[in-house]
Amino acid sequence: MSAAHERRAAITGIGVVAPNGTSTDTFWKATQEGLSALDRITREGCEHLPLKVAGEVRDFEPAAVIEERFLVQTDRFTHYAMAAADLALDDARLGKADSETAPYSIGVVTAAGSGGGEFGQRELQRLWGKGSRFVGPYQSIAWFYAASTGQISIRRGFKGPCSVVAADEAGGLDALAHAARAVKRGTDAIVAGSTEAPLAPYSMVCQLGYEELSTVAEPDRAYRPFTDAACGFVPAEGGAMVVVEADDAARARGAEVRGFVAGHAATFTGASRWAESREGLAQAVRAALDDAGCAPEEVDVVFADALGVPEADRAEALAIADVLGAHGRRVPVTAPKTGTGRGYCAAPVLDTAAAVLAMEHGLIPPTPNVHDTVHDLDLVTGRARPAELRTALVLSRGLMGSNSALVLRHAATDRA
Amino acid sequence: MSPITVEELAGLMKQAAGVSVAPQDLQQQYDSGFDALGIDSLGLLGIVGELENRHGTSMPPDAERCKTPRQFLDLVNSTLMAGA
Amino acid sequence: MTRRVAVTGIGIVAPGGIGARAFWDLLSSGRTATRGITLFDPVGLRSRIAAECDFDPAAYGLDAEQVERADRYIQFALVAGDEAVRDSGLDLAAENSWRVGVSLGSAVGGTTRLEHDYVLVSHGGQRWDVDHERADTQLHRAFSPSTLASAMAERFGAQGPVQTVSTGCTSGLDAVGYAFHTVEEGRADICIAGASDSPISPITMACFDAIKATSPNNDDPAHASRPFDNNRDGFVMGEGGAVLVLEELEHARARGAHVYCELSGYATYGNAYHMTGLTSEGLEMARAIEVALDHSRLDPTAIDYVNAHGSGTRQNDRHETAAVKRALGQHAYDTPMSSIKSMVGHSLGAIGAIEVVACVLALAEQAVPPTANYEIPDPECDLDYVPRVARERRLNSVLSVGSGFGGFQSAVILTRSRE
Repeated sequence: MSAAHERRAAITGIGVVAPNGTSTDTFWKATQEGLSALDRITREGCEHLPLKVAGEVRDFEPAAVIEERFLVQTDRFTHYAMAAADLALDDARLGKADSETAPYSIGVVTAAGSGGGEFGQRELQRLWGKGSRFVGPYQSIAWFYAASTGQISIRRGFKGPCSVVAADEAGGLDALAHAARAVKRGTDAIVAGSTEAPLAPYSMVCQLGYEELSTVAEPDRAYRPFTDAACGFVPAEGGAMVVVEADDAARARGAEVRGFVAGHAATFTGASRWAESREGLAQAVRAALDDAGCAPEEVDVVFADALGVPEADRAEALAIADVLGAHGRRVPVTAPKTGTGRGYCAAPVLDTAAAVLAMEHGLIPPTPNVHDTVHDLDLVTGRARPAELRTALVLSRGLMGSNSALVLRHAATDRA
Repeated sequence: MSPITVEELAGLMKQAAGVSVAPQDLQQQYDSGFDALGIDSLGLLGIVGELENRHGTSMPPDAERCKTPRQFLDLVNSTLMAGA
Repeated sequence: MTRRVAVTGIGIVAPGGIGARAFWDLLSSGRTATRGITLFDPVGLRSRIAAECDFDPAAYGLDAEQVERADRYIQFALVAGDEAVRDSGLDLAAENSWRVGVSLGSAVGGTTRLEHDYVLVSHGGQRWDVDHERADTQLHRAFSPSTLASAMAERFGAQGPVQTVSTGCTSGLDAVGYAFHTVEEGRADICIAGASDSPISPITMACFDAIKATSPNNDDPAHASRPFDNNRDGFVMGEGGAVLVLEELEHARARGAHVYCELSGYATYGNAYHMTGLTSEGLEMARAIEVALDHSRLDPTAIDYVNAHGSGTRQNDRHETAAVKRALGQHAYDTPMSSIKSMVGHSLGAIGAIEVVACVLALAEQAVPPTANYEIPDPECDLDYVPRVARERRLNSVLSVGSGFGGFQSAVILTRSRE
């Protein structure tokens, strides 16, 4: 056990399938340029709903990247997951040979907040519209939250620890931490992350009950956290998978370390109790910094949760100040998710991908559609800001009350 | 009632299991295992379910246990003919 | 120094009786709680039987608002949670709330409620463009899977790590396993762990019909769940919830708590084989058992009882028998192994936690629950499946295993005394 505890959890691959890019390169280009992919929802059957704007993944043809026999038995959220996992594994140069020689050395962890809603709605329609005999054999494996982890494991031959955190937004960070812990316990690599597909008609109807949901119909005005025009959040689909790998395993096979998952903590302060989330988030940040052995002043950039609800935005700004002190007013804060929307569990995983890329490029991406802030924060708006970044803090809060903080370190950070 | 043809089976394989095999190729692989063609247990259940719904009749439990297209078509067609 | 994890409280809502006492009475008597479905009209389904809970939430301390807000599976969890926390003797209000976590599993979560409301907004499955004006504004609570753990955390004021785990039919074992890691690795001192599911609904019954996984023995529901019996014909759906209070051992000792046993080992692996299929070799489950033993620092011969996944499908029973033989070697033949699914059905994500509670009770009572309905051996399943009658036995360490759709293979080990 003691030797395993010395292991560090590195990120060696990133795969993104997001509204603003269906490859890691296109995602980063759009993110650092501050382009917004929010737009009117075009999905069939959604035209009449009061939710008008979302982050849809449009530039993605599943059949071009996933075998048809996997496509027929899976929902869109799993299509994104399989594609993002492929991209991440390619990026990490982790291939079939690695899993064939040691299948138990690679596992899969996903977070899921919306499940296979489109697939499920189709089968519900068959059941109630035509009869139980019309429910197909894949309903049992496509709708449930575990579908993506299971399918990635099977498709890639990974027999390592396989897990699913079914969660609100913060679960995306919990999944990455779960992966990092599995690596520290001895598994060489975990493909981890989250993709979501909550834009089927019935899934959207379910989300209408969230008071925090934005129903503003203009894409550039629908999601503007930290401003006096904050009116809630915009949902999104897609997401990201990353390869979390033991740094010694990565070095042994000559893989490039992109960054480290250095610390994590999670707390709970109650569904929609945004004022209370201030203390919850602060507690999570303190414990995550402690887990990482990182002083508050070392944080070079914060990727904010940025819910877009005034009370929640205020709580987050105060939580940052509570933990980082005077440094909290100087540290750059950004929320690139205003250009993609909040893809539930996938949102903080995309932020993690952006944070690793930001550290690599020495560039903090801006917060699209946000031009000023009413909070005491150094919010990066307009254009990307060059900066030497060694430590990034990613924050996430969930609509059901979870708060989570993840500390990432740049690959070049000393081992100390 | 007309029997299920190789063409119809090829169509069902694509629809229910996502496996594309041209009918003429399927004809040549008549005795190959479904597993070699990429059809697993769920895929075959899907094909059987779709046939049952199309023809409004139950297939024998052995249908989903058939190993090859020939076995499958023989069994399914004899069932359909018997019911016709 | 490694932290050790004690079980200090248990609570359960299971078919056949609510509460740990009624549950153990059922298990030790070998009675079955499987019957024709009453929760909805199952006409037209292939499998029309299930193990249902006779559950009146008001009788178990939930007020009208909680009943209104919480779906049935969450009600199960809250009632089981109340019992477990009461049983633990913990005064949670006096604990540091940031050090109290929640880890609950569910395979299908709010789908029963989602289906119920879907029928309304789709005009009975007629419309893809569903009618939002007919939708309940609380529907997001059924849509979000984390409502389960969130509701439990709010009930007990937990502010530490709060997670919902959804790994299909191993959700219950994995939720307990994640909680174990959370306490062992120091992220919390107390974790309310368990699982719940209420999957007896048209859509879930229909989707298992479609793959012929459930028993069609509608004429004899009491004898329909027949794990390891040569005449088994599929699993019988169940429902329920179970909760354990996991507590760092020194924390428990310091307050003089009753310690049922320790949770000493956990592991999970994927089979990377098939979403629903299992191999006849059981390599991955064997691996999970071996790593859980290693985690517990126990030899295979230390295992005194195996609580089987035992779903009552041919492929499961053979897979599992092979896995246990591979992991325990010759000792497997001397170790009783039973499936309580024969009595309480298979409640998908909940059953793993229900089975862990059964193991805690087996250790406490020094008795092994039987496999009800087991009469005719399958020549390929040649272990001691404890036919029909519970058995007194000296138990110190017990193993519970599970398999889930998606290829999940998990193992949990409980140990009464490690001294």
